[in-house]
Amino acid sequence: MAEKAAEFNPEVFKKTSDEKMSARLKMWLEMCAHCGLCADTCHYYLANEQDPKMMPAYKAKKVLDAIKKKGKIDEATLNSLYETVYGECTMCRRCTMFCPFGIDVASIISMARGLCVSQGKVPENLVKVIENYFAHGNQMALTQEDWIETLKWMEEELQEELPGATIPIDKKGANLLYTVNAREPKFYPMDIAHAVRVFHIAGEDWTMSSKGWDDTNLAMFAGDLKSAAYVSQLVRDAAEELEVKRVAITE
Amino acid sequence: MNLYELLRGPLLWLSFGVFLGGMVVRLALFVATSRKKDKPIYRFWSWKWLWLSIVHWIVPVNVTAKKNPIVTIVGFLFHICLLVTPLFLLAHGVLWYESWEISWWSLSEKVADYMTLVAIGCGLFFLVRRMVAPHVRVITTAADYVLLAVTLAPFVTGYLAYHQYFDYYTVMILHMIFGELMLVVIPFTKLSHFLMFFVSRAVTGMEFGRRDAPSW
Repeated sequence: MAEKAAEFNPEVFKKTSDEKMSARLKMWLEMCAHCGLCADTCHYYLANEQDPKMMPAYKAKKVLDAIKKKGKIDEATLNSLYETVYGECTMCRRCTMFCPFGIDVASIISMARGLCVSQGKVPENLVKVIENYFAHGNQMALTQEDWIETLKWMEEELQEELPGATIPIDKKGANLLYTVNAREPKFYPMDIAHAVRVFHIAGEDWTMSSKGWDDTNLAMFAGDLKSAAYVSQLVRDAAEELEVKRVAITE
Repeated sequence: MNLYELLRGPLLWLSFGVFLGGMVVRLALFVATSRKKDKPIYRFWSWKWLWLSIVHWIVPVNVTAKKNPIVTIVGFLFHICLLVTPLFLLAHGVLWYESWEISWWSLSEKVADYMTLVAIGCGLFFLVRRMVAPHVRVITTAADYVLLAVTLAPFVTGYLAYHQYFDYYTVMILHMIFGELMLVVIPFTKLSHFLMFFVSRAVTGMEFGRRDAPSW
């Protein structure tokens, strides 16, 4: 217990929450009228036999209560906050649509995830995935070689069905840069082929990039905005380097 | 100066001052902080989505009105009576005229009396709902009860004063204290939604709107 407590850093918790406390978050945390209209708009609430503790306003209140303590929170409180913000919200924003004030609970949850990050509380897989972005530029740790090879392979497969169909790589000045979820080349390469089929038939002027091609941003889900900015920048850099008009992202 | 004169004069000025000043400060703080920390608001500013978002919730044309018609009706009645009754009450109009020689349209005394009862009734509905419904109770804090009481107190005492139940002078003094108290607490509590409702609706409307998604 004593060892664990040493990992807490109340100062960092407070500093992080001060940094992250924007005008909107402060307004939303303070103005909630506790009307309860968000309850049955949440799939967690509905899927857990209408457990009141699953309602959006309760989760937001939990975040506010933790912040109010200015970092003086015990391990149990932090763990409970961690469970809530990672395990009981998908940040889908449906509750915001039903809130008379339009309170963005997802932003509050995202901020609280960032607070958990500041205390070293992040799901293990998410940490690994974020490291992958920095090391390989994509969440699945695919090498550039693997990526290009997958595209070539898909191109060959497709040409049997659609002669003349190609996957342009690093074509400058194309209209469209098509980016994918790194799970596609890793596990479902046929998904890429489906998109290529559409582009080919539509006669689209498009390209794929040899780097900055993963459009997922799992750092964002950790409320780790610095890493999230880095990940977004990878795609932006690719788009600027290839001088494309727009970036399309996979479904 | 007796207690009545104190509440009718300096304390009334003070409470209007705190109320209006407090709201201006809140708005100014929001603008100042948001310029630094909420840049997307200004980057994606859209008058269209701002107004659409406000209008769809200031009249009940939205998903929640469909999903929760009873709470919506009670909520709208509550807010209409809360705002209209004190502003257009004949007795209040007389006070304005005595002080400033200004006057405006006022409600008939009978209508104002009913509206007061409606405000109190709606408030009681929310009180019971807060105590009974599990999903409301779980997020309820002591402040929620206190603020509901602070909001209803001017109406209850106003009703008693009009009908001259109990000692008129005492009831009237209480009515003034509660009325001024309510004004004073608005900027510092969740009652600040008096103004921040518009700010929040605007920013969320634009945030959803920039993705072509309505927030209603």
